Amino acid sequence: MSSEEWQIVWFTAWVSALSTVVILPFGLALAWALARRDWPGKSIVETFVSLPLVMPPVATGLILLQMFGRRGPIGGFLHDKLDLDIIFTWRAVLLALGVMSFPLLVRSARVAFEEVNPRLEQIARTLGASQWRVFFTITVPLAARGIIAGMILAFARALGEFGATIMIAGNIPGKTSTLSLAIFSEVQLGQDDRAFRLLGVSVALAFAAVWGSEWLLRRNRESK
Amino acid sequence: MKPLNSLCIAVALGLCVAVAKSSAAEITVFAAASLTDSLKATTAAYEQTTGDKIIFSFGASSTLARQIEAGAPADIFFSADEARMEDLDKKGLIDAGTRKSRLGNTLVVVVPADSALPIKSARDLASDAVKKLALADPKAVPAGIYAKAWLTKQNVWSVVEPKVVPTENVRAALAAVESGNVEAGVVYKTDVGISQKVKIAYEVPAADAPQISYPLALVKESKQPEAAKKFLRYLAAEEAGQVFQRFGFILLE
Amino acid sequence: MAAAPQPGKQVSLLLKNIALPLASFTLEADVEIRNRVTAIFGPSGAGKTSLLDLVAGLRRAPSAFIQLNDRVLTDTARGFCVPTHHRGIGYVPQDLALFPHLSVRQNLLYGCKSGGAIDPLFAFDRVTDILEIQPLIARGVRELSGGEKQRVALARALLASPRLLLLDEPLASLDAPLKAKIIPYLARIRDEFQIPMLCVTHDRVEALTLADEIVVLVNGKVLQTGAVLDVFNRPANADVAKLVGMETLHPGTVTSVTEGLVAVRVANQTLTAVAPAQATREVFVCIRGEDVTLQRDSESPSSVRNRLAARVVALRPEGALVRVELDAGFRLVAAITRPACEDLNLQPGLAVTACIKAPAIHLIARE
Repeated sequence: MSSEEWQIVWFTAWVSALSTVVILPFGLALAWALARRDWPGKSIVETFVSLPLVMPPVATGLILLQMFGRRGPIGGFLHDKLDLDIIFTWRAVLLALGVMSFPLLVRSARVAFEEVNPRLEQIARTLGASQWRVFFTITVPLAARGIIAGMILAFARALGEFGATIMIAGNIPGKTSTLSLAIFSEVQLGQDDRAFRLLGVSVALAFAAVWGSEWLLRRNRESK
Repeated sequence: MKPLNSLCIAVALGLCVAVAKSSAAEITVFAAASLTDSLKATTAAYEQTTGDKIIFSFGASSTLARQIEAGAPADIFFSADEARMEDLDKKGLIDAGTRKSRLGNTLVVVVPADSALPIKSARDLASDAVKKLALADPKAVPAGIYAKAWLTKQNVWSVVEPKVVPTENVRAALAAVESGNVEAGVVYKTDVGISQKVKIAYEVPAADAPQISYPLALVKESKQPEAAKKFLRYLAAEEAGQVFQRFGFILLE
Repeated sequence: MAAAPQPGKQVSLLLKNIALPLASFTLEADVEIRNRVTAIFGPSGAGKTSLLDLVAGLRRAPSAFIQLNDRVLTDTARGFCVPTHHRGIGYVPQDLALFPHLSVRQNLLYGCKSGGAIDPLFAFDRVTDILEIQPLIARGVRELSGGEKQRVALARALLASPRLLLLDEPLASLDAPLKAKIIPYLARIRDEFQIPMLCVTHDRVEALTLADEIVVLVNGKVLQTGAVLDVFNRPANADVAKLVGMETLHPGTVTSVTEGLVAVRVANQTLTAVAPAQATREVFVCIRGEDVTLQRDSESPSSVRNRLAARVVALRPEGALVRVELDAGFRLVAAITRPACEDLNLQPGLAVTACIKAPAIHLIARE
């Protein structure tokens, strides 16, 4: 493996990890709201959150391209007011990975929250704990295994993301080239041996991530 | 009539139609993305007169060459540079006797139609005003390879390279410029004609540009070699030539 | 456990205009609870837990006014509702809800207010000492027995210095010996912490043993409130009577009224009872098993007005007592001690005389 190849692996790993960390607070907040509250329009939100799971990734990428391009509503604002570009930069990779893995995190976390006995949260409140304290000291610790399994799934999804990434980040060597993008372009170039090396790393990472998630879920079930 | 009887008659009719259709040939042409509009224009009349059907697959010549190598069912390969054709020739995948360099082209630097960026030379692409430059992937796609050759010859490639956004094919580079997400791009002059959203900022003079040559050839594994050769002859002839010129291609001879 | 009235803080929990729609009925209440230990007594599904949840602020009702001492907690008319974590009301639910991921110590300390003056009444050492849970503190929650968990849950609620303690069926999930062990702890809580306690129960023995005052709740409606013995001995209507365990309950007709005594016809027997305040012709006759004595012979004179010839139908031992089911022309239940049962050599089929004092026959209007 050349240093370029290691750079691609390293970049893919840290941007996938970063995207998982970035979506965590939003994912947990939404999962909690879906698990514990009812409000008008809730089913619409549920559907929207699930869309990136069901739509073709390039379609999601296209929507992101329109929104975050320099001529788009959000991208235009960022470019004009903050001189900040998203498209064709590493930030676009972060965005694509985050959006595509978000539904996986929300689903896992929601199920984990639903399994926490609400009575425990209620009693904690009678003991004088505010909603925030209950959330961090009771709800999250009891839901921790499910949440972590969700984070691992999100991370694994981010590792393998292609369709949306190539749409909004391109495949700029050294800047936005992830494992999946690199495998694709190496095949295009006829560099099969490079492609296979990267494929090997990709499979190893995905295997480790999914295996870890399954192990956590097994431990969760056994301890009940 | 019993349902089973009508089903049998329908199947029989369908087979007759299929047999009738198959007497006309169906030819698949793998062609460079930059030939999209011009090639489609040449075939309308051809299909009318000969009754043959032409199916196109447009894309980066490098991608198409890979696919032919992998056994894709192409009858004709029309590449945007000699190197891709040479590659297939070395692998014995094309009929060398039918190979012909047909078209030339001009490189241009394009900017979004509303851009005020002044680009008068290759050197201007090196300036800070150009943060991102869209090129068809300079590692593989002919348009990008030509652009890199030009910029290298002008001694600005090392400065420009970090700004490059490599795209799948030359039309994708054009689209990137149209979207405004890059400041400029290098595409073929023939690509600009179809777009309202970009304008030519600079036309690369023939002296500075590398030799651009579009060869075409029969793919050896073709299932319709006669019909394909017929179409090849048509593409090499004057009628098609006029169409290509109309789109801005240079005719080579 | 119902002890002599304790001097000390005057407590008052006011529940007014409560209207909470539940699955099959609306919970309504309009009561003032003033005593140290009050039981909310009623069958399962009467809305008792929902009432506790309302007081704790865990549920909102479309209409409610709740005031504890001089502090208004809920006033839907003004759109005012103190959030749960500011109410200072301790809650021990039926399933105890100990936090499984925390140790016993962490559970206990969860509600302790850090910083500021802690009322010495609720000091950690004092509470754990009174409830005798000091040896358990270092353990994990899963290692505790049922009774230990109960005490830890009680201590946890107390360590948060509550102004009111809510207990949902505190003895329900315990077997008889364990119940007997926990009751003294509840008594200690009442005596040592001087906070009012509101217990929910469907068991009349629990109500009798735990509470000074009782609120009878059936199908979401308060049927009667008052001192426990008053309610038990003088149920306001047939529903309450059935609940508080008048084991013998029959329709009857008053045939004559003479000098404060009435003759009531039940089946084909006539009983003498004390005239009730509201004299009606049609009544329910209620007799507690404890008020029926049995004799083998019927000759010796005694002060008992009602002496009925009866036949033993069945015997049901219940701990130290035996409930004797008799046929006296109508079904009559007597509760006597086991030794008495053995002395009389009672067996099914045996003929006995059942004696019931007139004041023990309780009449409820039947319309």
